Amino acid sequence: MLAVSNLVTAYGNIEALRGVSIAAEAGKVTCLLGPNGAGKTTLMMTIAGILHPRAGSIRVADTEIAGKSSSDIVAAGIALVPENRLVFPQMNVKDNLLAGAYLRRDADGIVEDLDRITARFPILRQRADQDAGLLSGGEQQMLAVGRALMSRPKLLLMDEPSIGLAPKVVEEIFRIIADLNREGMTIFLVEQNVRMALKVAHKFHLIEQGRITFSGEPGALADDAVIRRAYLGSAPATG
Amino acid sequence: MQAGIIDFLQSLADGVLFGTTYAIIGIGFTLIFGVMHKLNLSFAAASIGGAYLSLALLAVWRAPSLVLLATSAAGGAALGVLVFLSCFRFIRADNALAPLMATVGMLLLIDEAIAHLTAGVPLRYPALFPDVMLDVGPMMVRSDLLFVFAIGCVATSLLMWLLYRTRVGIATRAVAQRPVAAALCGIGIGRVNATTFALAGALGGVAGALTGTAVGVLSPLLTLPITVKGLIVTVIGGLGSIPGAILAGLLVGGFENIIQHFRGVSERDLHVMLLLFAFLVFRPGGLFAPPAGRD
Repeated sequence: MLAVSNLVTAYGNIEALRGVSIAAEAGKVTCLLGPNGAGKTTLMMTIAGILHPRAGSIRVADTEIAGKSSSDIVAAGIALVPENRLVFPQMNVKDNLLAGAYLRRDADGIVEDLDRITARFPILRQRADQDAGLLSGGEQQMLAVGRALMSRPKLLLMDEPSIGLAPKVVEEIFRIIADLNREGMTIFLVEQNVRMALKVAHKFHLIEQGRITFSGEPGALADDAVIRRAYLGSAPATG
Repeated sequence: MQAGIIDFLQSLADGVLFGTTYAIIGIGFTLIFGVMHKLNLSFAAASIGGAYLSLALLAVWRAPSLVLLATSAAGGAALGVLVFLSCFRFIRADNALAPLMATVGMLLLIDEAIAHLTAGVPLRYPALFPDVMLDVGPMMVRSDLLFVFAIGCVATSLLMWLLYRTRVGIATRAVAQRPVAAALCGIGIGRVNATTFALAGALGGVAGALTGTAVGVLSPLLTLPITVKGLIVTVIGGLGSIPGAILAGLLVGGFENIIQHFRGVSERDLHVMLLLFAFLVFRPGGLFAPPAGRD
């Protein structure tokens, strides 16, 4: 489904991704773990077309998307649930969801999906006319997921969906991820919550200092080793 | 005493009605600021430019009022897109001063172009609306000002409908609130920005024509005062707030006319500046300060 190879993304002279190669298989949950500043969000933003890579390739279902605009990438069937949710705070919940369907022209299908998604997240139906900024963190996360689903993606990218949420809500979010996957959605997930992530993931990768340093299935590496490297990195801190 | 109160109310009513044009100009400033978080100082000049374009049409065809208004709106929209392309599209967004100065340049350019093309002579602007006095109780209301007010209401309602009931509106608000998230929804930020300039420009063109018809003439000398009034309205209303701009426009219009009534035209703008000063000191966010928060 997704095949990234030798991807380099830089901010000025600083390379945040130094040749990342990673794959996400159709119908599976693939998880990317790593310490802060390792390049996780940069990778997500590059795949989604917000950042443009300096080199390398990103293929989705055999279409090259590296360097394309974010609208082309959404049109190609990729949706990113961004870090910190980024809902539109002074826009009501319903319009937030409709914004996710911006590129679609099938009015009937949009109404249908709006129904389906608010049935999945009943709180969004209850609050349809409320500004999204008034929702709790967990509700905003559901809205961000719902908004991404409104584009009918083939591949759902999620950047730290559990960040800043209470443990009970985190469980709820991971239940949603597992549900979506069971219904056939391909998911590529960035997480800090290693234990929960390894529970839902079919495959995981470790990223450290802009490079993939481990790829395998959950259990291939002892959980505590994954946790140590996901939070601290294996290399000694530099500078 | 009785006559004094009636005169006062008369000034207030005339001022508030004329304030519609300030409100529309304020909405234009605020709309562009809301979406791009940048000031477009050439906006009022472009609005007057739009009105001049409708005069150009009038030179070849005795067009009806609504056509003149529409031409002015279209001219304002075209100038708006031109300003976007020349001052924002190709200038680095992270340099806040560069586009601002570019719009100052554009303001002067439009001003100069008008001055050259018209040899600096003010041109008569036709009455777009029947000009009769209506008796409202003890007061008289200028019917053309009522029309100005009505057209302002229609234009503003159209804008609100567009922003809150259409796909374009969702895209515009999305870009205004969270540009990155908007891009993640597939919304083209450049296109939304251009559309916003066209929309604001069309509103500005309407305001330009309304100003022309209410004042009776168009002159390049109008651009600077309207720019200043528009900015004052935007600040008093709260940068980025459309309801704020509407209320502040009517407020400034009524306020300046009352001052003019009591203190004369020479002191009028002085007191408007004092009003701005009072707001900056006591309520710097304006009437409706929109909540901060943008990625």
